[in-house]
Amino acid sequence: MLKFTTKRKITALVTAIAVTCIAFSGCGNTASDKDEQGRTVISIGSYPAKEGKSRDTWDAKWQKFEQDNSDVKVEPDTWTFDLKTFYAKAAGNQLPNLFVTHFTEIGQCIDAGYVGDLTEALNKRNYQGKFNDKILDIISDDDGNIFAFPVSTYVLGIGYNVEMFEAAGLMEADGTPKQPATWDELREFAVKIKEATGKPGFVFPTSENNGGWMFTCLAWSFGTDFMEQDADGKWKATFNSPEAAEALQYIKDLKWKYDVLPSNNLINNSEYYKLYATGNAGMLMAAGSMPSSLTKYEMNPENIGMFAMPAGPKRHVTLLGGTVYSVSKNSTPDQIDAAIRWLEASYNYNATEDFKLNKQREIDVALENNQLIGIKSMKPWSGEAESVQYEYDLINKYANGNPNHFRLYNEFVENGTAEIQPEEPVCAQELYSVLDSCIQEVLTDENADCAAILEKANNDFQVNYLDNLAY
Amino acid sequence: MRTSKDRSASLAGTRIGRRTRLRNNIDAWVLMLPMVVILYLLVWRPTVLGVVWSFFNMKAYTPGEFCGFDNYIKVLSHTQFLPTLWNTVQYVLWSLVIGFLPPLFIAIMINEAIHFKRGFLVLIYIPAVIPGIAAMLMWYFMYYPDASGLLNMLLAKLGMEPYTWLNDPNFVIIGIIIYTTWKGFPGAMLLYYAALQGVSSELYEAALIDGASPWKRTWHVTRPAMEGLLLLNLVRQIIGVFQIMEQPLAMTSGGPSGASVSLSYQLYQYGFNSGGKGTGQAMALGVIIFLILIVFTIFYFWLNKKVEDRY
Repeated sequence: MLKFTTKRKITALVTAIAVTCIAFSGCGNTASDKDEQGRTVISIGSYPAKEGKSRDTWDAKWQKFEQDNSDVKVEPDTWTFDLKTFYAKAAGNQLPNLFVTHFTEIGQCIDAGYVGDLTEALNKRNYQGKFNDKILDIISDDDGNIFAFPVSTYVLGIGYNVEMFEAAGLMEADGTPKQPATWDELREFAVKIKEATGKPGFVFPTSENNGGWMFTCLAWSFGTDFMEQDADGKWKATFNSPEAAEALQYIKDLKWKYDVLPSNNLINNSEYYKLYATGNAGMLMAAGSMPSSLTKYEMNPENIGMFAMPAGPKRHVTLLGGTVYSVSKNSTPDQIDAAIRWLEASYNYNATEDFKLNKQREIDVALENNQLIGIKSMKPWSGEAESVQYEYDLINKYANGNPNHFRLYNEFVENGTAEIQPEEPVCAQELYSVLDSCIQEVLTDENADCAAILEKANNDFQVNYLDNLAY
Repeated sequence: MRTSKDRSASLAGTRIGRRTRLRNNIDAWVLMLPMVVILYLLVWRPTVLGVVWSFFNMKAYTPGEFCGFDNYIKVLSHTQFLPTLWNTVQYVLWSLVIGFLPPLFIAIMINEAIHFKRGFLVLIYIPAVIPGIAAMLMWYFMYYPDASGLLNMLLAKLGMEPYTWLNDPNFVIIGIIIYTTWKGFPGAMLLYYAALQGVSSELYEAALIDGASPWKRTWHVTRPAMEGLLLLNLVRQIIGVFQIMEQPLAMTSGGPSGASVSLSYQLYQYGFNSGGKGTGQAMALGVIIFLILIVFTIFYFWLNKKVEDRY
């Protein structure tokens, strides 16, 4: 029989070894890209963690994909892209093989060297010339290598609250809104909404880089250039200009002269959509993907509307954004090929049977979440992709709001009446952060001097970021 | 006189003693190993790597070439470094003004209470058991700057105009510190209360017989018994508040116009919100904060020893 002390020692030793093993088990990812049956194993990020319709849809897609692609084994990974965890996971080789990210972040991921090159795999699958050139610029490096597979794109427009528009007399009888052609007209609309409802006519984001992001688009239309590159390749901040000051003054006037903004001046992304969805703001700048951000507030789809971005004094311009999929740097060519096949099941130039099936499932999930169906987004394809028309027809078929509420935005997207501009080329997030502060300053200080604020911000951006561009 | 037999017995004894000590040491190391491994992985290794990598050009979390003090120069020459340092000092100063003495007063009040002492203790401890992020959101809505904010509702009842609270750059740090004090004081209060329990009741009785007022009893009996602990908590509070980060992150995102950005918040921005470009600077700023706090920490340990010696 073992003595008590011996037992204790054995227990302690076993515990120590177990803890050590557990502690080290999280380090590194040395898994092979093949399973015991020789199938290529790929992990797919953003897999729904909660049980429900969305998870069922992914499960069905997974099952069908493995049936059709017997050489591939899919492993779900519930991690969703987030810059705060991305770099640590990437450095620790813990990224799923395929993960979703956005136009605004893909440049940083490429620069950091943590995403895999898709060029060869895409060429093998005949993708030459299929993606829109403007989007290719965003997802490629200087040598033209492609690092992402774009799946959706959008341009900014204006979202409005239908009931508040009706109260302000800004709707036609058929449900088509009156559309402000310029920012000045939009301000007049906001004033009418405030007078009619007592609620803010417009909301502008101000924090977590959202304010800066939206402000760049507004300021472009006032004629602002945020930066320029000189002959030596150095970047120079150029938004200490009268045009940028005029754009900032526009925001300031909305607050202090016309009183059409909310009392809260610290508005992050969730506060932004909450104010709009709960009827506490009449209008906001938003992308066509906005309805998915409103479901958690249970906003009635019939109450959501969108129209085109107004023109500024100098330009009629809107901002291009979108979603892309990338592969982790350590993915093998077989994994990259399998990942692209997985994407093609849902995002395809041609309206394949898989594509049709998965689009139908997406619509079903959206309908179950009582999400507005009807707003059309731009597609990343060049030319007339068969899948785009199929998807648009499907959206028309299942539209669950009055089509006239968002017809003007859909026409804006389809007809391309405004210039479409991608985000600023370098240090975009840092620029947004600096601009957030400028916006907060003019919203909290009635006597703020817009030109002086931008002069300081321009210098800060130059000294802190553009002069320290090298990785 | 010792014989050779004695000497060999003594040597054998020494060897046995060493073996026993060695065996005991091994036992101790085996028992400690899990904690050592965890500390190595989660504290020592990241700390040392953080210091080392602060001297390298970081590509997100991958070290590039050695760059000397470049990251430190970038951090110190950042146009917002001094305002951020001043914000951090303001957090500490306001936390001492607003939050240092209330836990002691409440502990004394409860100690003096005759009825419902336990009930008061439980009620007062409630803020400490509310999850931090939930409590921050609760206060965010209390401070909400329109008429729907709880504090503005109270002002409205008093016939006053709504106030902007956390939207006011001059109030934001004070507002965050009021929340931090509310959330953190129960812990400090319990410490003081426990120390008050240790003060001999005979001293109070003697003071009472001498006709001392409550204020005099507090000053002449309670204060001498508590001042060691008070000093200790003062240093702990300075160290703790100097690292404030979650509160501005959740309640104001550093706004308005950077008025609530602290050094630790800035470190977080470098580390997680700079597209991987600021990792080296995050580590450099971490070292700078460490160097500032190490002074307080050494003082804390010195003080702690003094206090422990006293009790």
